Amino acid sequence: MRHTSTLNRFFKLNSYGIVLVLCCLFTNAQAFDSDWLPQNLQIHGFLSQGFIHTSDNNFFGKTDDSISTDFRELGINASYRILPELQIAMQIVWRDAGKTDNSNVRIDYGVASYNLYSSESSLLTLRGGRVPTPLGLYNDTRDVASTRPSILLPQSIYFDVNRNLALSADGGYIYGEHRTDYGDFSLNFGVIIPRMDDPDFKNTLVGSDPGKMEGDISWVLRTGYEWENGLAKLAITYADFNGEYKPSTGAFFQAGSWRFNPLIFSAQYNAEKWSLTGEYALRRAQLRNFGAIPDTEFTGQSFYIQGTYRLTSSLEALVRYDELIWDMDDRKGLKLAQAAPGVTNHSRFAQDWTFGLRYEILPALNFSAEYHRINGTGWLSNLENPQGTTQHWDMYTIMMSYDF
Amino acid sequence: MSQVLSAPTPSIYPVVNSAFTQNSVSRNGLSAIFRMRLRQWQDGSPITVFVLHDNNPLHKQFCKQVLNVFPHQMRRSWNKLVFSGTGQAPITVASKEEMVDKIASTPGAIGYLSDEDITENIKILIIK
Repeated sequence: MRHTSTLNRFFKLNSYGIVLVLCCLFTNAQAFDSDWLPQNLQIHGFLSQGFIHTSDNNFFGKTDDSISTDFRELGINASYRILPELQIAMQIVWRDAGKTDNSNVRIDYGVASYNLYSSESSLLTLRGGRVPTPLGLYNDTRDVASTRPSILLPQSIYFDVNRNLALSADGGYIYGEHRTDYGDFSLNFGVIIPRMDDPDFKNTLVGSDPGKMEGDISWVLRTGYEWENGLAKLAITYADFNGEYKPSTGAFFQAGSWRFNPLIFSAQYNAEKWSLTGEYALRRAQLRNFGAIPDTEFTGQSFYIQGTYRLTSSLEALVRYDELIWDMDDRKGLKLAQAAPGVTNHSRFAQDWTFGLRYEILPALNFSAEYHRINGTGWLSNLENPQGTTQHWDMYTIMMSYDF
Repeated sequence: MSQVLSAPTPSIYPVVNSAFTQNSVSRNGLSAIFRMRLRQWQDGSPITVFVLHDNNPLHKQFCKQVLNVFPHQMRRSWNKLVFSGTGQAPITVASKEEMVDKIASTPGAIGYLSDEDITENIKILIIK
């Protein structure tokens, strides 16, 4: 434990220094491809620094009437192909996102992949360890700014307040891929124990009650179709996430269970200059046996539609509409606001118009700017907004990001 | 008339070491190799993929004409593998001369070259 905290302090003190050193070291993005590494060992990394300002409400730090620099991601990974059919890989990440992330250095993934069968037309792989969870189009690499279409992913589906829960989990997967003249078909199924260490997650369920949330046996399935090497992509994801509350002595709530079932439909078309992406999700959540919280079940809906256009070879524009509804039976949150004084109805939905620009300064160095016009606070962190929230708000973000 | 006068674009081919026994590959197989999804040759030996920088004209030509994919789409799919721990990126070489060197000296290597740059130790991998 002591070791970790020293490491964290080191990262906090030196984050800007590390960013600088890394930039200098790897200005040539192919630095790690040079001859001093064996050809089956690769090292890659990424770093990004965001600046966020909001007209009201806080997102990733104190952003209301202020500019927050508390959005920072820094990661490094190594992959080693021991045998043609066996690869191991690990990624270590240090991330700060206001009060929604505890700024620890953590292992995002540590995966061993073994190909049971591999041919020109088919692949069957077993994966085990801490594996990125295949949810929708963007979850597997959500930390890496260059793999995101925008500075912030559409929050209705890729909640950043519960990022660790969604990102990766310990378990095992079987992955199959079949390539035909009509496109590539894939299937990914895993049994996992989800991570429940996001600060806001426990807080949302039981507040500051002494105790902790622990992951239980869960599973996830994603089937995908890619036409013409990714010109068009379709995917369907379904998952059964389970968690249990472990109350400590003196806890007010009982050992309740939490269950979450997202069903996500994803579609993307990538032309040379533009792309169109849409995802639609139904999310069912259940709470049982918490004692003071009545057993609850509700189904929410999330969707976004997003277009990008490459204005020049290095400048890309983005427009997106993203909508979140927590409970389809109470779309505007009015019933809940009436039943539970202190809950504002606008915390039960969010409609977010996003306009963004990304400029590629160097192939691996990007500058992005984004404007959000938001109605509702459905994906805001309670931890960051103890003072209450405003329904209509604006968010301005800029980000520098680099990867190698 | 202008078609007659303009210089023809040199043809570009996937190439391997000429000592290599496999002579051909299916279109899907070739695409899977460059997208880093297929990591073994038919005999089980490891495949090592070499590419030029994303902005290199030869790279762009190979992606578009042979693989039928946009270079930025290729980069995206490599990033997806690299940053999810499920795969690796190809090895980037600085020039076509280095490409020639690497293909000639690495067993199981694959890359691409214009017909005019193909040397003695290198052969074209035929697309079936």
